[in-house]
Amino acid sequence: MSPFSPTTLLVLVPLLPLLGAICTILLGRRLGARGHLPAVAGIAGAALVAGLLLVSTVNDVRGDGNGQATRPVEIIAELWQWATVDDAHAGGGDAAGTPVAPGISALDSFSATVTLRCDPLTSTLLVIITGVGLLVAIYSIGYMHDDPGYPRFFALVAMFVFSMSMLVAASNFLLVYVFWEAVGACSYLLIGFWFTRPEAARAAKKAFLVNRVGDFGLAIATFLLWMTYGTLDFHDTWAGDTVVQGILGHTRLADAEGFVGGAVGTAICLLILLAACGKSAQLPLHVWLPDAMEGPTPASALIHAATMVTAGIYLITRSAPLFVGCPGALAMVSIVGATTALVAAGIATVQNDLKRVLAYSTISQLGYMFASLGTGSMLGFTAAIFHLVTHAFFKALLFLGAGSVMHSMGGVIDMRRFGGLRQVMPVTAATFLIGACALAGLPPFAGFFSKDEILAALHAKAHPDQHHSDHADAHAADQIAPNRLATPFRQAAFASNRTALESDAGLERVGLDALDHPSTWQTLFWMSLFTAGLTAFYTFRAVFMTFTGPKRVPTEAGHHPHESPTVMTVPLMILAGLSLLAGWVLFATGGLAWFLAATPSLTAPAIVRTAVTHAFHVDLAVQGSLAAAIGIAIAAIGHLGKRSDSPQMERFLGPLGTLLENKFYFDAIYKALIVRPLEGLSLLSALIDRNLVDGTVDAVARVPLSWGAVVRRLQSGLVQRYALAGVVGVLAIVLALAWQLRP
Amino acid sequence: MITASLLHNALIVGAILFSLGLVGILTRRNLIVMFLCAELMLQGVSVTLVAWSRYHGDWGGQILVIFVLTVAACEAAVALVFILQAFSRTGRLDAVAWQALREDNLPRTVDRELPAGDTAPPSWPRLSPAGIRPDSDDNQALQRDHV
Amino acid sequence: MDQVSVAPAGMLLAGSVTALAAALWLLLPKALDTPGTRRLGALLGAIAILGFAATGRTLGCLGADAVFLVVAGVAVVSGLATIVTRSPVYAAIWFALTLAGVSGVLLVLGAQFLGVATIVVYAGAILVMFLFVLMLAQPSGMASYDRVSSEPLLAAVSGAVLLGLLTLSVGRLSASAPPACCAMPSRAQAAAEAVRPQTATPSQAAPQNQMTDADEVARLGAELFGRHLFAVEVAGLLLLVALVGAIAVVSRAEAADGDQGRSRR
Repeated sequence: MSPFSPTTLLVLVPLLPLLGAICTILLGRRLGARGHLPAVAGIAGAALVAGLLLVSTVNDVRGDGNGQATRPVEIIAELWQWATVDDAHAGGGDAAGTPVAPGISALDSFSATVTLRCDPLTSTLLVIITGVGLLVAIYSIGYMHDDPGYPRFFALVAMFVFSMSMLVAASNFLLVYVFWEAVGACSYLLIGFWFTRPEAARAAKKAFLVNRVGDFGLAIATFLLWMTYGTLDFHDTWAGDTVVQGILGHTRLADAEGFVGGAVGTAICLLILLAACGKSAQLPLHVWLPDAMEGPTPASALIHAATMVTAGIYLITRSAPLFVGCPGALAMVSIVGATTALVAAGIATVQNDLKRVLAYSTISQLGYMFASLGTGSMLGFTAAIFHLVTHAFFKALLFLGAGSVMHSMGGVIDMRRFGGLRQVMPVTAATFLIGACALAGLPPFAGFFSKDEILAALHAKAHPDQHHSDHADAHAADQIAPNRLATPFRQAAFASNRTALESDAGLERVGLDALDHPSTWQTLFWMSLFTAGLTAFYTFRAVFMTFTGPKRVPTEAGHHPHESPTVMTVPLMILAGLSLLAGWVLFATGGLAWFLAATPSLTAPAIVRTAVTHAFHVDLAVQGSLAAAIGIAIAAIGHLGKRSDSPQMERFLGPLGTLLENKFYFDAIYKALIVRPLEGLSLLSALIDRNLVDGTVDAVARVPLSWGAVVRRLQSGLVQRYALAGVVGVLAIVLALAWQLRP
Repeated sequence: MITASLLHNALIVGAILFSLGLVGILTRRNLIVMFLCAELMLQGVSVTLVAWSRYHGDWGGQILVIFVLTVAACEAAVALVFILQAFSRTGRLDAVAWQALREDNLPRTVDRELPAGDTAPPSWPRLSPAGIRPDSDDNQALQRDHV
Repeated sequence: MDQVSVAPAGMLLAGSVTALAAALWLLLPKALDTPGTRRLGALLGAIAILGFAATGRTLGCLGADAVFLVVAGVAVVSGLATIVTRSPVYAAIWFALTLAGVSGVLLVLGAQFLGVATIVVYAGAILVMFLFVLMLAQPSGMASYDRVSSEPLLAAVSGAVLLGLLTLSVGRLSASAPPACCAMPSRAQAAAEAVRPQTATPSQAAPQNQMTDADEVARLGAELFGRHLFAVEVAGLLLLVALVGAIAVVSRAEAADGDQGRSRR
């Protein structure tokens, strides 16, 4: 293995931040004010290696296909065998009486390998993770200065970069689950970084608990996947000379019948969707993300805006071949996404906390990506990843800008308490404005292009006749490959697949699949368009409230509020440049779509079939820009140049404003439906424990105690009585023996 | 060699002496009397050992009794020292005086009501008149009145 | 044993003993002393001595059983008195009498050396030491703890039951003609002789006839300093250690007492 072979690079990307984290943990106290060095060095190395890896992958793609790469590209690095269980029959193969053929037993032995796989999707995300991670780490050198937990923060950030890299590079659902939990743990620790503050501790706990719901979904999905497919690996493996099809391996992708649809497939997809909803803060599990803003702002930027929350997008994209067989599940993805986008954008319009505005904006933008994924077309998947990339840039920029404001304002983040900061911190204001334009989707900023693609994907789905006929003779009912049917469970799963396909061929659609109807998609499209307007409105409301109007600073900021130090503004400028250029570069060349198309998951026939020629949709661009412009105009009318503590616009909204201000009463509903009953149950349990259980134990303990109270009188301290007792005892024994041995 | 009947009689004598010593050691509270009772038990054992030794024509029993004598002498020396120590601590030769090993919350065991008959002053033995009459020393008489 | 020849001698002996006892009682100082009683006592004493002299010739024929009964009775009765006497001094003197009885029993059993040694060591050394300690430690008057026993009823019952058990087992021993447990040592002895025939001494070869021989003490000494030499050495060491230990404890205690005494004064 040469030092720069792709495999080495792939292993190095997670390894370097891990080493950095370990060094920080071991040496943190000794390094003191230089505690950031190992972590920053590790993440910088990882960023460099990820860049090299991206170049290498691009070369692979270019070498394989001419423009339209259909052959999947992947690099597999198998590190070690983690666990092996022989004879782990899924569903009990011999219960049905059918003997398991010798060749198939290999399929039924469970083995978990620590294997990394790099494909275009992974390498793109690795660059985003390490790149944004590096910028955030550099920014944190200034932001976290003089914090007592300085080394701890950098150790956690490096640990997070490691976990996130492993999550996107893992080639095994089990490994994905492990690092899914690991990023959750890092998130928990960073939200609760200032754990002495009760709000931070409560927010960390809330994030952790809400995420558990999603993680539960992923666990069940993993079990179901193994039951159905007999393996958890993404890639194909070899057992002897028979190939074991990985869930997302080449051979299965090439096989038109390789994926389960029907009830089992839909269940798997919905469970994965549940997991993604938890991690990516989609309805109804979005409530943790706004509270997660209690953590340090750089952590919010890195984890809760740019990278970790996009893990759900990654997982669904990775599992795309599973989803495309289940149109109902796909429609659910879009419905959840579009609804979340609209609801979160609505809540964001009335928030006064700058970071909370951005948090709800993150939820809303993630909803966009979900809506795009749900279209199930090549355009939809690439658009989602495209938006993920641009969003990572501009949302990190906005968060870091908000952090800069907060740093300068002495920790105050309520927009009503400051204003006109354009004069105080010009660099922050300028970069924040660029980020806001990108978020609002103004041309030619990054967000404009990615949002346009998402709208295009939705529009294509809503008006299939105008774009492309996306399904017809899709599924040829082949003979089902025998080696997948080792167990009754799998036989049943694939049989239901078959009936689902048959009903698919017919006109009638039942259950969730009925959601996949053009009218649904039209509704979703208009919701997304409306959300675009709302996005522009709340973004520029925040900009106007913070940076325009008369200059006001809170007393916490001191007498001379100042621009942040260079170490903080340079990352802002870099991110601003990326927000400005990335969208245009990536869209105009069509490079990202071309590159991502070589991802194995996206080479499933059902997806490839939906690929369209790269085009710019003028009508949609106009509609999107118009919506954004209207939003900005309303924001300008309401807030431009006014004192930010002047009466707000929601007073015009009436009951809707109350609804928005209370965040659609999600927290209240959860409190009433889940927290309160659980508290009551806990109270009851505590009562039972204290009175019944403890009472029983105490009663049992009182029995020997009372006996002891009687018997302890024998302990008189009089030696002669002891001797007498001994003699009597010996006599009793001798008498008993004499009685037994009597002739 | 002795006859079987003599053996049996000797064994019974040994058993009686042993049992008497045991009862004494369990009941008498005077440390020295307890010690005497222990010696009484040893005597019972010695008789038994010698009887068996003679019956079997084996020297082992007698040898063992010799060692019992030796050990009893050692024991007497050391134990009497300890008894003196105990007396100097409490001023009494009372086994019941040492009950610190009892349970914490138990009351201290105290003497019961003394038998009424014993409260009368003891009768002194008369010494036979011999030599000259010693000078009367009240203090000395008080110290040694019982002997 | 010849009953006919023994009976008159025994009666004579008993009479002599009774006469001697009466003579001594009469001679000892009493409240009702008169010269007449003293003279009667002297007369009775002379008769008793004559009676002893007359029976002395037949003493050898007197059954060992009778002697045994007397000495055993002395031992048992005085042992009982030892434990029931209130005064510890009297208890010690009764114990001395017990020792005398036990010594007699040992002599009857044929263990001359042990009989004498018991008297010498116990009565002569140990008991005297006891009396010294009593002199040192006994407070004035009769102490309350000498007048009250601890748990007398339970202890008495226990002792009686123990004695009953022991008697029962001895009785069963005599009931079964050759006691099973008695066969064991002779078998062991036979085995020992089979193993070591060359070291067998003549006394071991025919012990039954020679046990009562005049050289019994010599044989015991040979046995003690032959086979059990090491044990003798160990016993000597034990005596030394006990001596040193007793002195050490006493000296330390006296140092402490001295300090206390000085401070008290």
